[in-house]
Amino acid sequence: MFEYFLLQVLNGLVTGLIYALIAAGLTIIFSVLKIVNFGHGALYMLGGYAGYYAIQLLGVPPIPAVFVAMALTFVVGVIFERVMLTPLYSQKVDRKDEYAIIVTFALFMVLENAAIVAFGPFNKRPPSFAEGAVHIGLLTVTYDRLVAAGFAALLLIGLSLFMQRTSVGQALDAVSQSRDAAAIIGIDAKRMFAVAFGLGAALAGGAGALIAPIFSLSPTMGDLPSVQAYVIVVLGGMGSVPGSIIGGILLGIVEGLGVGFYPDANRALAYSNAFGALLLIITLLVRPTGLFGRAHLRME
Amino acid sequence: MPRSPLQIWWLVPIVAALALPPLLNGYWLHVLSVSWYYAILAASWALLAGYAGQFSFAHMAFAAIGGYASGLLAVDLHLPVPLGILCGIAAAGIVGAAIGWLCLRMRGPYLSLFTLAFALIFQLMLIAEYQFTRGSLGLSVPEIFAGRSDTPYYYTGFVLLLVSLSAMSFLLRSRVGIFLRALREDEDAAEACGIDTALYKILIFTVTSAIAGLAGGFYGHFVGILTPNLVTIPEMGLVVAMAVVGGVESLPGAVVGAVFVYVLSEVLRDTGQMRFVVLGLLIMLTQRYAQNGLWTLALGRGGRFWRRPPPRAVAPEAAAPAVERETNVG
Repeated sequence: MFEYFLLQVLNGLVTGLIYALIAAGLTIIFSVLKIVNFGHGALYMLGGYAGYYAIQLLGVPPIPAVFVAMALTFVVGVIFERVMLTPLYSQKVDRKDEYAIIVTFALFMVLENAAIVAFGPFNKRPPSFAEGAVHIGLLTVTYDRLVAAGFAALLLIGLSLFMQRTSVGQALDAVSQSRDAAAIIGIDAKRMFAVAFGLGAALAGGAGALIAPIFSLSPTMGDLPSVQAYVIVVLGGMGSVPGSIIGGILLGIVEGLGVGFYPDANRALAYSNAFGALLLIITLLVRPTGLFGRAHLRME
Repeated sequence: MPRSPLQIWWLVPIVAALALPPLLNGYWLHVLSVSWYYAILAASWALLAGYAGQFSFAHMAFAAIGGYASGLLAVDLHLPVPLGILCGIAAAGIVGAAIGWLCLRMRGPYLSLFTLAFALIFQLMLIAEYQFTRGSLGLSVPEIFAGRSDTPYYYTGFVLLLVSLSAMSFLLRSRVGIFLRALREDEDAAEACGIDTALYKILIFTVTSAIAGLAGGFYGHFVGILTPNLVTIPEMGLVVAMAVVGGVESLPGAVVGAVFVYVLSEVLRDTGQMRFVVLGLLIMLTQRYAQNGLWTLALGRGGRFWRRPPPRAVAPEAAAPAVERETNVG
């Protein structure tokens, strides 16, 4: 029983790190642009397929393929931001929240259905990062999971170093705190918006490429993780990157335990996806600012 | 003020719609009958999202509540269909009021996330509680009219559409309509003007959910089967596309958008999923270049709305005098 518990925690930790990666991207987009990206799950899916085709068609080894996926989703993110989101920064749009929800939701529709047309509705599975598994006592953890978790952890560490130590990261943070003050000290906010959306998209894409060998790829694979990502982002506090990392791991573990210990096995499976959504509802009701929310990042 | 829906030129499309069925083959008659269902949904969603600014993703869930409530009452308790639909409307309205009450403190994207999560849980419930709902297999419900012809459904749907449109424009022409727009523009300012924002937020959720429930009840007893697919994100996306393309701040715009988008998606049916790509791009283009929808643009009012410099900070002041005036008159 204890081994089973430990295995659920361990599996939860792996998915939690991937969730955290998706959520960190969502958080960067939210904190800099002040919008919720409803197309985030589709970018995650796109990253998964980009990695797959980089391996299959271009012969890129699995791990560099993750970077190919991130580069591609970065470019897609920047193009979308340049074409569709620029009206948000001027007075052209009456109600910015609604505009952002609608166009990012439309991005989701376009990407997901284009994926069904282009890649087919059937599941695809890219080759493993590394074959085999480690055995610790009675526990078995595949190398794929370890590589994905390790890679995700490295990306998250890299992200926080980037945000703290580089001038671009600092500029992003400055714009997220105050656009006007950032403009006064000479930061071009418009360039930072493009960087933030591209970076957020790239993190989602990287997560998609990392998860691909563990669960297989399908055009609708982004539906659920995007809901999970919203749970994490809200749970961790909108705009707080460490909050979203802790929230991600927390959700992964709680979900793993919830499915493992639900009394009615049939329903547990059907409801496993409702778990995160319920957590989202409760968080929104009880503590809308999340556990680590920063006051100046209130969404208005 | 919204213009009266009873102006003469309104009779033209109504008469045209009434005269249409004999000219159509069975397939297009069916398509148009279904489009009335979507038109009711799109118009009520436009009222909720466009007028009142409550960007909910749970609208299809309310349609499903209406449909399933009515269907289950008819199947399990053998209730007559019209009575079942009334119960479905009531059920959707009550749940809508509850959701509106729960969402009182949430704004903008938070409300969207909340309603998205609610819709997801509701869909999973429909699948998981299969002993009641027959799960993904779908619930067979009795049809309203005997016989295979869609003509009676066409007229029923059209009458229901007119009834719900009249009810909604009645609401909008009363002072409530102005309160709702004040709520959308700035909730704090509206509150400061003495508008009971909590009351109107719950009211608008109740009304639009009840109308969605009506649409769901009609749809269920029309096609004869209800499945959890009713609540999926693509279905919600279709309704959003309809309202946005037609004009999210105009009830007739949403109706025109619904018929246009649904007919377009049927024309493009052979292209498979490609049609949703087209619809998604259509949403983006409309939002980018004609935010008030193609209908408003076609009426020649698009330019005015679009180019109006709308500094956000001025909105509360702009909304406030209107509200005060109305309060004084009332």
